Amino acid sequence: MSDKDKKVVIDTGEAGKGTTEISEGANTEELEERALSVFSSDRNEDIVALVFCLITTFLVLVFTKWMV
Amino acid sequence: MSQIKEQMPTLIMGGSLLMYGLIAKSGALLPMAKYLQTHKTMDLQVTMTLIVGIIAIVGALINTTRKSGTTNIDTFILRPLGGIVLILVMAMAIRWYAEPLMKLISKGLQPALGFKIYKVLNLNYVVLGILAGVVLTNTWGIPKFAGEGVKCARFVLKMGVIMLGARYSFAELAKLGAYSVILVGFFVLGTVFLVLWLGNLFKQPKSMTGVLSAGMGVCGVSATVAVAPVVKAKSAEMAYTIGTILSFGIICMFVFPTIGKLAGMSPVQFGAWAGTGILNSAQVAAAALAFNAVDIETLKVAEIFNITRVLFLPIIVLVLATWFGKETGQKLSFKSVVIDKFPVFIIGFLILFFMSSVGLFSPPSHYKGKYIDVSYNDRSQVTPEEWETLNVAMEAGEFSGLTPTQLEAVTNLVSQHQIAGNFDDRNDKKLFDKTGRARMTQLQGVLAAAKAKQVQLSADVKGAIKHAVKQVKKKSKTVVTLTDFMIWFFAFGLIGLGMQITKKAITQAGGWPIVMGVIAGVTKATLSFFVVLWLIKDVVLN
Repeated sequence: MSDKDKKVVIDTGEAGKGTTEISEGANTEELEERALSVFSSDRNEDIVALVFCLITTFLVLVFTKWMV
Repeated sequence: MSQIKEQMPTLIMGGSLLMYGLIAKSGALLPMAKYLQTHKTMDLQVTMTLIVGIIAIVGALINTTRKSGTTNIDTFILRPLGGIVLILVMAMAIRWYAEPLMKLISKGLQPALGFKIYKVLNLNYVVLGILAGVVLTNTWGIPKFAGEGVKCARFVLKMGVIMLGARYSFAELAKLGAYSVILVGFFVLGTVFLVLWLGNLFKQPKSMTGVLSAGMGVCGVSATVAVAPVVKAKSAEMAYTIGTILSFGIICMFVFPTIGKLAGMSPVQFGAWAGTGILNSAQVAAAALAFNAVDIETLKVAEIFNITRVLFLPIIVLVLATWFGKETGQKLSFKSVVIDKFPVFIIGFLILFFMSSVGLFSPPSHYKGKYIDVSYNDRSQVTPEEWETLNVAMEAGEFSGLTPTQLEAVTNLVSQHQIAGNFDDRNDKKLFDKTGRARMTQLQGVLAAAKAKQVQLSADVKGAIKHAVKQVKKKSKTVVTLTDFMIWFFAFGLIGLGMQITKKAITQAGGWPIVMGVIAGVTKATLSFFVVLWLIKDVVLN
């Protein structure tokens, strides 16, 4: 069994209420961060936030500045 | 059957929101809203509760009939729906009830305490939101149906940070006196680097150090919230930073005026010191007023230094984003360590900051959407009744106790019906604006002198002058609306992040943030005390 396949049991805390198995070599910080987001990566999350905000800003400008 | 049971909380919340929206629409809640001073939000309350209520019910019904899949709609809307609705309900309760109630209580306690506890402790939606999340997690725990929705918190918080960019303008920073920019810039950057160095010394996580450095260096709570996603700070680290900043600020608020008086500081020196050394805007104002309640100069200088400090936020965000990318990346190339790691959402913050600086939302020279417009304008004039009051008082010689410049400002107000520059200079906008602004400052001085009972003015005259000043202080509707979005995004994000702060997370962060915060804060306060005493001898207002 390679290092990558070795599993460790971790406590999943309040939200998970139990334990689960993850690979021993896993980047736990990255896993922890992703477990707290609905997005698969930081970049996706940022881009969606950016696009939403630009659309919001455009609409706000239309209704509070350009159309009044 | 089990699917219906799972969706029951969302259905109940949706139904309750619909009911609330209908009751609010009938006007039955208006007396209570007037008491809480939230009556201006009644339309928003109706619209928001009805829309969220309908979405909650429709979404929950779809969830009961459909098996959860892996499509984008499942991942981003249907599964997190319960949690999103729960957080929104909590955000509404905080914005429309808890926060206004806190303001009322704090107003009631003001005579006894001498200050508004709401402002000084920053008990607004930011702190209340985090507290609500922490309380829920550590008592009942996050309900199972809300688990997925809570994961949207950081994403929504990032949207709030992007919106925050609209509130600042580079033109405003460029307009401020060079003295305050250099002095504040030195202390802001100095504190940031001091905290980063301390973090390294005490071997603290980069995320913790990054968020604390922004909080201690720039402007307390908003800087903390803005920088937290940049340095990927954990929720507990953010809460610790906010706690440290606020408690340190409260101590400063009481200690600063005493030390200032003992050291025999002038009002200008104290204003500069408080604006540089104290972190929270409300605490700066409270300290300035405690030092000198009647002279407007202390408060004005403190505010200028405070605004200068706040305007450094975009620069600090850039500095920390670069620092964090560099610290966490492997030593490869500039591109891989800085550009690839640079958070994309910060580009959004900078885009809005740029749009704001070029005057897309408001005249370029604005601060949080507020700007002064002394041009000839119907909306800048006093009412005919107010003009009559001022004219009669002028003829009766009521203004004889004023200084010549103050008298000139009042005379001009009467002749032009509004605060403005000289009519003959109207084509030279710069000169016209400068004269108008100077007159506004003189009129503010008249009000301060009347408050200090140095001159006797009737209540009607004071009211007319106050209104004249208010008329030229405008607020951009666009920035106000964008700020409203920002507030809701922050409220949502912070409640969600509060829910991720468990007792275990708090213990893990330990007491180091407090130690580092106190060292940095005391160093900054002491150094700025001596620098201000040494450099600032007279007026810094330009």
